[in-house]
Amino acid sequence: MSEMNSERAEPNLTPLLDLVFQLITFFMLVINFKGAAMDMSLKLPILGSARPLDRQGKLEPMLLNIDAEGEVHSFGQLVEIEPFVTKEARLLKQQLAVLGTPATGDFPVGVIIRADRAVPFHLLNHVIEVCQKNGYRQFSLSAMTRQETR
Amino acid sequence: MRRSKRRRRSQGSVEMNLAAMLDMAFQLLSFFILTFRPAPIEGQLSLNLPPPVPIVKQDAQPKENNGGEAGELVGLDTLHLQVMANDRGGVKQVILEANPVVQGEMNDQNIQRLDRELRRIFGTKMIAFDRIQIAVERRVRYGELMKVIDVCTRQKTPDGQQMRKISFTELGAGGAAAGQAP
Repeated sequence: MSEMNSERAEPNLTPLLDLVFQLITFFMLVINFKGAAMDMSLKLPILGSARPLDRQGKLEPMLLNIDAEGEVHSFGQLVEIEPFVTKEARLLKQQLAVLGTPATGDFPVGVIIRADRAVPFHLLNHVIEVCQKNGYRQFSLSAMTRQETR
Repeated sequence: MRRSKRRRRSQGSVEMNLAAMLDMAFQLLSFFILTFRPAPIEGQLSLNLPPPVPIVKQDAQPKENNGGEAGELVGLDTLHLQVMANDRGGVKQVILEANPVVQGEMNDQNIQRLDRELRRIFGTKMIAFDRIQIAVERRVRYGELMKVIDVCTRQKTPDGQQMRKISFTELGAGGAAAGQAP
């Protein structure tokens, strides 16, 4: 009897749960898994005509971040460009062979270069040359479509 | 009275304990908030970058008389640009096939001037350029070079496609492009 009389305050959690699920849905939709591959500290050149990459094909392009000193980063790791690209090219050849489209000449997969706007041309050109030597021909040069406001 | 109480109890609504679900939802929400990184406003310039070719002029071949315009040539050629650097790594001069077309930094006016010159050359039917080769001085900063590349990619090839075939060579201190035939 005494238990029945002691009033328990039970808030209605349903609206709160609704709200939380809506927030989860929002964050799930805007999550950017590719951000891990990008070096956000780079100051990319600003070019109004740059367009989002229209990717056909299933294979992921190789993404290289080049900082102002010309050092190349991939997924947050500093990499030696020549061994890294050679290894990626070898893996890509194996992948293409498995998919039944062995690479006879140039690779059908490209390279995305995210380089700092201050990097001198000769450092950038070295990276491009290494990629060309390994069979890459399709390049995408990243740029901001407008000035970032931070 | 007793009966009605019993009935009420047996028909009582089932109330789920939402607290556990709310806990889980908050954990998920925390994960998404902590890992949230807005996607940058980034675009790409897609290019086909074949290795550079030696500077050797190809002779354009006149089109046979099969409906083509008189004087229209079909030989494909490479257009050569040179980008010279100033002390700060900006653009000092842009030379288009031995003719200086831009003097000074790549501001809006100079970008338009270069675009106009390239349009004039690509507009002519006498020579059909299918690629642009840019010899760049090693000090030129990528940000400045991109402005030149952007103007090049606005041009149209003879088949009406956007110019995507661009090669780069490095200009030495004396202005000689490395890896090119004299």
